Amino acid sequence: MIQHIAEQFPTVFAALNVGFLQTVKLFVVTLLGAIPFGLLISFGSMSKIKAISATVKTVVWIVRGSPLMIQLLIIYYFPGLVLHTPIWGSGEQGRFIAAAIAFIINYACYFSEIYRSGIQGVPIGQTEAGKVLGLSKSQIFFKVTLLQMIKRIMPPMANEIITLVKDTSLARIIALQEVIWAGQAFLKGSQGISGEIWPLFFTAVYYLAFSGLLTLLFGYIEKKLSYFR
Amino acid sequence: MKKIIALLLAVALMACFAGCGKSDAKSDKTDLEYIKEKGKLVVGITDFAPMDYKDGDKWIGFDADMATKFAEKIGCEVEFVEIEWDNKVFELNGKSIDCVWNGMTLNDEVKAAMATSNAYCNNAQVVVVKADVAQDYQTAEACKKLKFAVESGSAGKDMAEENGFEFIEVKDQATALMEVASGTSDAAIIDSLMAAAMVGEGTGYEQLTYTVALNSEEYGVGFRKGSDAVAELNKFFDECKADGTLEKIAETYKVQAALIK
Amino acid sequence: MAFFEVNNLIKSFGKTKVLKGVSFSLEKGEVLAIIGSSGGGKTTLLRCINFLELADSGTISVGGKVLYDGTVDKKMSDTKMREMRLHFGLVFQNFNLFPQYTALKNVMLAPLLLKIDREENIASTARELIDRVGLSDKADFYPCQLSGGQQQRVAIARALALKPDILCFDEPTSALDPELTGEVLRVIKGLKSSDSTMVVVTHEMEFARNVADKIIFMADGVIEEMGTPEQLFEHPQSEKTKAFLSRSLER
Repeated sequence: MIQHIAEQFPTVFAALNVGFLQTVKLFVVTLLGAIPFGLLISFGSMSKIKAISATVKTVVWIVRGSPLMIQLLIIYYFPGLVLHTPIWGSGEQGRFIAAAIAFIINYACYFSEIYRSGIQGVPIGQTEAGKVLGLSKSQIFFKVTLLQMIKRIMPPMANEIITLVKDTSLARIIALQEVIWAGQAFLKGSQGISGEIWPLFFTAVYYLAFSGLLTLLFGYIEKKLSYFR
Repeated sequence: MKKIIALLLAVALMACFAGCGKSDAKSDKTDLEYIKEKGKLVVGITDFAPMDYKDGDKWIGFDADMATKFAEKIGCEVEFVEIEWDNKVFELNGKSIDCVWNGMTLNDEVKAAMATSNAYCNNAQVVVVKADVAQDYQTAEACKKLKFAVESGSAGKDMAEENGFEFIEVKDQATALMEVASGTSDAAIIDSLMAAAMVGEGTGYEQLTYTVALNSEEYGVGFRKGSDAVAELNKFFDECKADGTLEKIAETYKVQAALIK
Repeated sequence: MAFFEVNNLIKSFGKTKVLKGVSFSLEKGEVLAIIGSSGGGKTTLLRCINFLELADSGTISVGGKVLYDGTVDKKMSDTKMREMRLHFGLVFQNFNLFPQYTALKNVMLAPLLLKIDREENIASTARELIDRVGLSDKADFYPCQLSGGQQQRVAIARALALKPDILCFDEPTSALDPELTGEVLRVIKGLKSSDSTMVVVTHEMEFARNVADKIIFMADGVIEEMGTPEQLFEHPQSEKTKAFLSRSLER
């Protein structure tokens, strides 16, 4: 058994690495998009203009209330099936862009709620202290509340981001070839290896290593921010 | 409140369209003209030896080679795209692929949802069991005692229903084999071509074997509903039969015995 | 016209009238103490003076210039609001120091962001201020490392850094343990000798009596009685004042 796996390992390892690269790419692109976009959404949901906050809150409800898998299907297939303009193209790149957009929207909505609780969790006295010192709204946000907000949202964000690592696997519903897809290929048969389940099990090692690394990173950041309360 | 209702409606509509959208392209171009115009035939496949599989970065196999030749014939490049098999009709109608050419069994559902070519290859649904108990299950009647795993929406599932077997549906044929190998199901029903490649001596499932053929069926290629590319492909198949190309490529991948002559 | 004048301020929250026409004036260097039971409108008055709330009507003027007129200034630009606020400083009941900055950086932050001077001058002024509130050895401590009294002293230094015309205190010792109030009151007392104009909302009767030039007793959104400490404490005219004072002195 061990020898059997050892023989197949180089082939499987190479294929899983290619898949994992796609996983990491989706993860990074999602974060780069969703972290700032989520802030925009949280401002929208806290807007004093009723029409804006109501619309944004409804969208957040829809996105958070429906499965990401369905959102992936809608975003990838809707333009071609209903609008008759297949905007994504057929290849890997189009699938990746569609997946990234679905993930960014979905995660931005989750992040926006975390931001909102973070912003509202910073005592109002902090903003008022900034105001009476004659600071502008943006100075108050960036120099006074932002870091306190970041400290507050770190634990829930860490949670969400580690969930994202694993959620990337949903993208295979629109045939994005991430690491689980790569592992499953050896079940059906690929590159002369078929009926092997161990590559699929082995993909868990990638997720474990990746989320372990992130856990360490978040622990480090939280420690860095522990100098104030 | 109005806004919320409007949004809800929009979402419901989207979901409905996505579910029942039909390729009723408004343009007056035919499907073949559309494919030729973009200069690329996009072929939806799954990794499925010996029909479509990867050799390095290149897709080869009986189906892949034939698709490449057909694309050449209509003056297009060929592009192979791996798809999620359950979504093949969406992929076609959404135009992210132009055809499904992947050892696809021509059953009623496929024929209803796609424009299908003439059959080019024979196949059968066979019962896979553990080799040590194989002699007990050589007839469909004997197999009635078994608990089956079948691919959801597959021809194998149709057979299980037809024969009144007790079964569960799993994601794909490979998973069905896993079920048998791990003992969570007693037997699976899969394509004979696949069984030949994946089960028995020298494969990943040495402890399994296949017994009864429950039916005989045929493989074909699927295009978008109403596509005129089908006629072109049937013509191409006839030419390839006549000049021996089909036979030659089939021999390369050892599927000549299953060819429809 | 007096240096600082507040004229007929009216403020409601929804249907509740919190300020029902408050007027007073103060000369430069004077200290005004505002006393009264909670819910009387003291804090709201202070917040209106610092434009954390905008009065519905009434005027606020400093140095003979009308800064705010409630009947016209309802919607004003952020910039104008910031300019107006710079005439005033406010020390909060619960300090509201910025937790992520050291004591010194708390004092320096606003001057730096508002670019009122070169950085090294701002830093040396800030050190002087920290020194003045008696915390030179704690300049590099974070707020969470300081006691409540020390935090409040840093907050006073922070408010002074922008050299406001009028410095306001909103019950500066109410959030402190009794043994820590003394150090904060001493600092405020020290400011009086340096000629700062101050408005102090307080429950510390002894302090009000010793430090203030003028005392206002507020009840139910109006100034019930106003006068020198001697007038107010020794010869209160209003029944409400008498009742309040006897209750406060019992404690």
